[in-house]
Amino acid sequence: MPKPVCVSPGLTVTPLRKTAGTFMLTASATLLSTMAMAIQRFPKPEFESAYTQPQTQIPLPRGEFLAYLDVFVLFASLCLITWLVLKKRSRFWVFFMSLFSLAYFGFYREGCICSIGAIQNVSLALFDHSFVIPLSVIAFFLLPLVFTLFYGRTFCAGVCPFGAFQDLFAFKPQALGSRLNTVLGIIPYLYLGLAVLFAATGTDFIICRYDPFVGIFRFNASFGMFLFAGILLLSGVFIARPYCRFLCPYGVLLNWTSRFSRKHLSITPKECIQCRLCEHSCPYDAIDVPVTTKSPETRPAMVKKMMMLTILVPFLVLIFGYTGSRLQETFAGVDSRVKLAKEVLALSKMQDAGNKMQDDSYEIKAFKASGKTESQVYSEASAVLKKFYVGGWLFGGFIGLAIALMTGGRMLPVYRTDYVTNKGRCFSCARCTDYCPVKS
Amino acid sequence: MKQKIFIVAGLVLLMIVIVIMLLDLFSAKKADQSNPYDYKMGEIRKTDSTHIAYAELITIKPSLEEIHAVACGAGDRIYVAGKNGLEIFTPEGKSDGNFGFEGIASCIALDKKGNIFIGLQDHVEIFDQLGKPLRKWKSFSSESLLTSIAVSDSYIFLADFGKKTVYRCMPDGRLINRIGEKDPEKNIPGFIIPSPYFDLALGKKGELWVANTGRHSLEQFSNDGTLNSAWGEASMAIDGFCGCCNPSHFAILSNGSFVTSEKGIERVKIYSPKGEFLCIVAPPSAFIEGTRGLDLAVDSKDRIIVLDPEKKQLRVFVKKN
Repeated sequence: MPKPVCVSPGLTVTPLRKTAGTFMLTASATLLSTMAMAIQRFPKPEFESAYTQPQTQIPLPRGEFLAYLDVFVLFASLCLITWLVLKKRSRFWVFFMSLFSLAYFGFYREGCICSIGAIQNVSLALFDHSFVIPLSVIAFFLLPLVFTLFYGRTFCAGVCPFGAFQDLFAFKPQALGSRLNTVLGIIPYLYLGLAVLFAATGTDFIICRYDPFVGIFRFNASFGMFLFAGILLLSGVFIARPYCRFLCPYGVLLNWTSRFSRKHLSITPKECIQCRLCEHSCPYDAIDVPVTTKSPETRPAMVKKMMMLTILVPFLVLIFGYTGSRLQETFAGVDSRVKLAKEVLALSKMQDAGNKMQDDSYEIKAFKASGKTESQVYSEASAVLKKFYVGGWLFGGFIGLAIALMTGGRMLPVYRTDYVTNKGRCFSCARCTDYCPVKS
Repeated sequence: MKQKIFIVAGLVLLMIVIVIMLLDLFSAKKADQSNPYDYKMGEIRKTDSTHIAYAELITIKPSLEEIHAVACGAGDRIYVAGKNGLEIFTPEGKSDGNFGFEGIASCIALDKKGNIFIGLQDHVEIFDQLGKPLRKWKSFSSESLLTSIAVSDSYIFLADFGKKTVYRCMPDGRLINRIGEKDPEKNIPGFIIPSPYFDLALGKKGELWVANTGRHSLEQFSNDGTLNSAWGEASMAIDGFCGCCNPSHFAILSNGSFVTSEKGIERVKIYSPKGEFLCIVAPPSAFIEGTRGLDLAVDSKDRIIVLDPEKKQLRVFVKKN
């Protein structure tokens, strides 16, 4: 057996990372210079001179064929990245593929349309039949899932612009350990649950609202958005791809489908020689180390665990479901219809009490101009609240189920002899293949 | 140890991101009510104090319900007209008479005999010093709104905001001609007057000057309507006129310099006869924000009388030593 080589848990700075750093500095300088160019404009009025007011121009929507071009680029990118990951097994080319995706889906397409946000369109279309979902959105939602089902998360490896962008900042990635990964791994389930809940109730598209990078892709980030993205990227220096691992709601779906993938990336193309070179190569803690000692699980002990799981799953689903339903008002408070009803009610109370009125907010002005009655506003809010009661149950139940299954997964005995990629968590970035001395 | 610090730092930053998202999503804060398209006038309203060359000497408080027009007459007496009446003050600001009439005076001027010409919406009424009505002209038009009046030895000039024109009339009210209307052949651009502030005045040689506020300029016309010259520049800077339409009012000093007043950024300034910015009489801080209609008059000693309709005051400014 070869002598094990000690590899630092933190990855060293390679020329590839230096290139990435230079790229980021250039991008930041460009962004700052764009902001500096903004100057105050003084419009000289021309009310009655010979100047002819031009016709109001309404920009045409983006050509339909361009939407299909995006789908084609996505499909082609998925094919290419899958080939690069599974056949070529080249981190070098995967990296350049991810730069292309960052340029096309990120900076050229300005982060929209994206598969992550498509979750909301699909959710809304499922619950509100008046919402028409474009075919391209369905394609963006389904294509990465289909590829993942067959080949693992190659989409994350080099097609998702979010992942590509964060990858450029992973200078000092640290191993978090199994427990921390499991605990933090609950956050994407919460995010997915909330995103679907708010989209299905027609409240908000929170994935888009809290998209950390779209402002950078569009070169129009407000200071708050820039700071938000900056903090996330800074955390990504130590915790590689923090958004992908601990926030991305689409990652939950990819994680599930990837577990069933038929041809997932393997660290070694042949037989593992147990050299341990790859052990710390993954910045995402997605390599499962061998567990060669079989736990002495007796049949009664296994039966006991299974019985516990059988009780635990419905118990957690009910407990969390109930908690979710109790949070209906908190959830509904995000909805603009409920907010308006609260504001109208407060205004009405102030009027009844004869208190001095403040200036109407824009929402109240819009309500007054709409001609709606107060009772209409209240009944709309009440309907939303009912939706959130049911939605709260479903959301809570989903979270309970996720926690129960995660707990159950940790209770099951594990036995493996080789270093293998964790099919659920692995982004198929192919870093580990570079470390493997066995070549095909 | 170092690894743990990195992990903690990374986790803390990640948690900050998540907390920001949750607070923003679930906090009960109201949506931002600020208007991103609001002009931020704060910086523009600031004035370099070294430009202020005048000081306020006297403040006169007329008793009229509303004041709209001011003029100076013989002996530097100050005439102020407004709703249903006119008041006269000595140069020191003491009351020296008053009389009433029906309507809201929008402009006022005096001839050499001391007769008082008052523009009342669409027509002119003439009174003597004691308030005795001498003559009432017929209405120019139902759409007329007379905003300024000037009296020369031979003619009466009137600015009509409603018709966007200047009338040259005989003292008996007969219209001789219209001045300043758009005429491409004579290269006259026409008056662009978006708001009802349309002033005119006579220079020291009796030449007619009219404020073309939408073009941010003062234009000089001959009696036959020929456009002789113009000056003025649209600018947020101190030496220009800003907003939709300025200067709202102006008067002419004995040396031919122009005193101008503006709305939006309320200020009174002086320009040379060539239209070069010279100094500030009153900066924006001297007025209540939003004040409009700062009518101006100049007496024989070049004291500047500013009518402040918001404060309901006549404010007399003199040059600092």
